[in-house]
Amino acid sequence: MMPSIVLLLVTLAYPIFYTIDISFSTFDLSTFGAGEWVGLANYEEVLNDYRFWDALKVTLVYLVIALPLQVALGFAIAFLINAEWGGRGLIRALFIIPMVVAPVVAGGIWRMILDPLWGLMNYALQGIGVGPLDWFGDPNLAMAAVIIIDTWRWTPFIVLIATAALLALPKDVFEAAKIDGANWWSTLWSIALPLLIPIITATFVIRWLGAVKMFDIVLAATYGGPGKATNVLNLFIYEEAFRSLRFAESSAMAVIVLVLTMVLTAIFLYGSRKLEERF
Amino acid sequence: MTTVATSAPSRPSGQLGHRIRIVSGVAVTLLFLFPVFWMVLTSFKQQVDIFTSPPKFFFTPTVSTYVEYFRRADIERRLINTVIVAAGSGLLSIVVGTMAGYALARIRLRGAATFGVLILLSRGVPPIALAVPMFLVARQLGLTDKHITLILAYSTFLVPYVMWLMRSFFLSLPRELEESAMIDGCSRYGAFFKIIMPISLPGLISTLIFSMILAWEELLFALVLTNRVASTIPVAIAGIAGDTINGANWGALTAVGTITVVPVVIFALLVQKWLIRGLADGATKG
Repeated sequence: MMPSIVLLLVTLAYPIFYTIDISFSTFDLSTFGAGEWVGLANYEEVLNDYRFWDALKVTLVYLVIALPLQVALGFAIAFLINAEWGGRGLIRALFIIPMVVAPVVAGGIWRMILDPLWGLMNYALQGIGVGPLDWFGDPNLAMAAVIIIDTWRWTPFIVLIATAALLALPKDVFEAAKIDGANWWSTLWSIALPLLIPIITATFVIRWLGAVKMFDIVLAATYGGPGKATNVLNLFIYEEAFRSLRFAESSAMAVIVLVLTMVLTAIFLYGSRKLEERF
Repeated sequence: MTTVATSAPSRPSGQLGHRIRIVSGVAVTLLFLFPVFWMVLTSFKQQVDIFTSPPKFFFTPTVSTYVEYFRRADIERRLINTVIVAAGSGLLSIVVGTMAGYALARIRLRGAATFGVLILLSRGVPPIALAVPMFLVARQLGLTDKHITLILAYSTFLVPYVMWLMRSFFLSLPRELEESAMIDGCSRYGAFFKIIMPISLPGLISTLIFSMILAWEELLFALVLTNRVASTIPVAIAGIAGDTINGANWGALTAVGTITVVPVVIFALLVQKWLIRGLADGATKG
């Protein structure tokens, strides 16, 4: 255990404390280190910055739409691709491909597919009488594009977990339900769902932990644009720190994000436990 | 399978439902694969075949994009860097994380439970909160743009991941395994290496694979901590994808994208059994 404690202290704990330290100080660009202690001044500045609130709102919109969408789609698709037949293994194996595609690559590919002039998507949409849509020029469509890309990449991850969960369900309960003459809806609603609730909530929490870190897809697909329509907090903090060199303010934002993430994660964990107890 | 539609294969409607399920399952899978297929296809097009409306499915393939881009953008070195960093951080995390996971699972220590909770919490730390201080520290130590810096940075999310997975893996093994070996005169280390490691190999491999994939595609730390010498492929791709001034350079994008994706895909398909298991374990037990 010692090596890991040392390694994590150096690489994880130290940077966190350093961030906290900077967030309460001025930042001296000549020495590139923390300067004078200024108390909560950086936090005040951040909280009075409308751009911070905008980025927070963008992040929330993305999370609120993308997370449930991916979890629901993931379980639905897992149900489909686990139909018993000869090609099931192959299908399952192929389905993991989007997941191992790096997020930046995903962002790039989709940028090409969604291109308003030459992209395949608009060509297909025009075939059914829609568009052409300017995916990256319209704020709402750009957010939709980010969610589509993110969902494309992450749904397979949820499909795999859901597959494992479906395979682990006890068969005899379903046999018994069939003998008792339960139809598929009541089987789904009162047998499969309660058995799946723990794994659905666990999946949600895992995906949440991944989604709050989302950065690479926006960077490759929209770079926060158009305007600031897809400027998620992570990208905003990155820009503030490494483009504007406002390290003190961005550290304060990072600390806020850290605290928010921890609190929400704790709430989700607590909520999922409550939900499991109810079923 | 224990899912509902298959539970009634005797009825004709169940048969039909089953068939619909298979067909839609295949359709959905092909739909999800299509973007990757389209990327690979585009990478073999000439510029004139890329920018056409309607998009071309049939064309004379060429490797000119690959040749040209390799010469121009130093892709070779970035590819080597990515391999070094992914393998380095994967191996470091697996060695350190496995030992710690074992300790968490087996050895009664004061504070072990607290440490376990801290490890779990650390998976929620947003990397952006680490990127700023890491950059500043690396700068002060003169460690920017070095492989070792990235390898250490990646260990912040890989070590907790490995620890947690391996901990649950070790917990699932019966304690008697080592106890009997230790009664027969093996030391704790002897028992670990001779008895536990061989059984743990599948879990270990799946964890290693997934760690390396995570390191392979990481962008934020690579962007912040490297600039030329140790720069990785994701940084190059982000550069091309975000390059709106020259218009979209789809040839380069798809060529580099294909180079990064194809080895990982082949690798993932070869080890898919382990990969799926590792993921499922990570999710259900993590």
